[in-house]
Amino acid sequence: MATAPLPDAPARASRVNPWVLGAGLAVVVPLLAVLVLNLGRDPHSIRSPLVGRAAPAFSLAPVGGGAPVSLASLRGRPVVINFWATWCVPCFEEHAALTASARTFGDVQFLGVVYEDDEARTKAFLADRGSSYPALLDPDGRTAIAYGVFGVPETFFIDGAGRIAEKFVGPLNRATIASLIAKAKGGGP
Amino acid sequence: MSRLALALLLAAAPSLAAAPTSPAPAGGIDAPRGGPLSGAELDARTNEIGGLLRCPVCQGLSVADSPSSMARNMKAEVRDKLAAGYDREQILTYFERSYGEFVRLDPPMRGVNWLVWFGPVAVLVAGGGVVAWAIKRSARNSGAAQATDPGSVPSDLPSRDTLPADARLAEAVRRTRELAYDWPGGVPPKPRPLPS
Repeated sequence: MATAPLPDAPARASRVNPWVLGAGLAVVVPLLAVLVLNLGRDPHSIRSPLVGRAAPAFSLAPVGGGAPVSLASLRGRPVVINFWATWCVPCFEEHAALTASARTFGDVQFLGVVYEDDEARTKAFLADRGSSYPALLDPDGRTAIAYGVFGVPETFFIDGAGRIAEKFVGPLNRATIASLIAKAKGGGP
Repeated sequence: MSRLALALLLAAAPSLAAAPTSPAPAGGIDAPRGGPLSGAELDARTNEIGGLLRCPVCQGLSVADSPSSMARNMKAEVRDKLAAGYDREQILTYFERSYGEFVRLDPPMRGVNWLVWFGPVAVLVAGGGVVAWAIKRSARNSGAAQATDPGSVPSDLPSRDTLPADARLAEAVRRTRELAYDWPGGVPPKPRPLPS
């Protein structure tokens, strides 16, 4: 029996319309690219627009009384500003690391800014767990808003020129503090 | 890298220089552009701007709607800025500088945000265009087929006892009939006369 090829009707059914293919790829490829590029990203972490900018000025009274501390008066040396509260569990965890680091880095000014907490509780917390740097009161959370704080703990590393070199969200350990201070001093990554 | 650092320093320089002389230029926004507000108008404008700001600690709530203490603080900040004469755009810019564009509930119409505002409309219009084009084309095709050679489809079909005129088609029909019905030559064998 002859085995000549049949007319090409079946082949026509499976042929792809290049316009449809092109349109489909034009929609799907960019979406896939966005997906792949953002796979490693935490959707809840938003990079602070303040990094690289001048740190917002403030002048806040320390817990326990005394002259207000202003950021402008600290110009010329790196500053570490830690937003924290006594009701915040991760703040417990990093308190020892911050206290120890403040003692190690004598050329860096550490400051705590108390976030939505009261002075008496803060005083009791510091008396119990020790402190090596001023804790500042932020009535109405004005300074926290100026720094774009979402929650505690958040820590800002400010260079000698008053610029925010880095923002860190979450509890810090001593190694991270050291590397971010190095960055604020201009020698880090 | 050092060029970037220099650019940042230059960009930051004016604000650094200005900081000690003017104690609170409200985080980089200039002098108030509007008049100071008070009373009922202050309340109304505070609510309006609070409704445009996202509460950072809530899930999709505006500062005006959220009962959280952070939203309360932000609302107080809005109120103070309005009372000092800052206008809506200045206040939104102030919050945007610390929290990023995220803090605006309506994405501002600029850059890639145009896609958010007008992308869906553009896609809808384009999709409607494609559908209209496809409908028009299929109508034209079927109309053309009927107009050029009416009745050609039936005439192309071979009858039971013949093969089509087209040689290739005839070959296909013949082979199909041979395979399917066991008809030699593709035509049915003559019926045998019934025994009488």
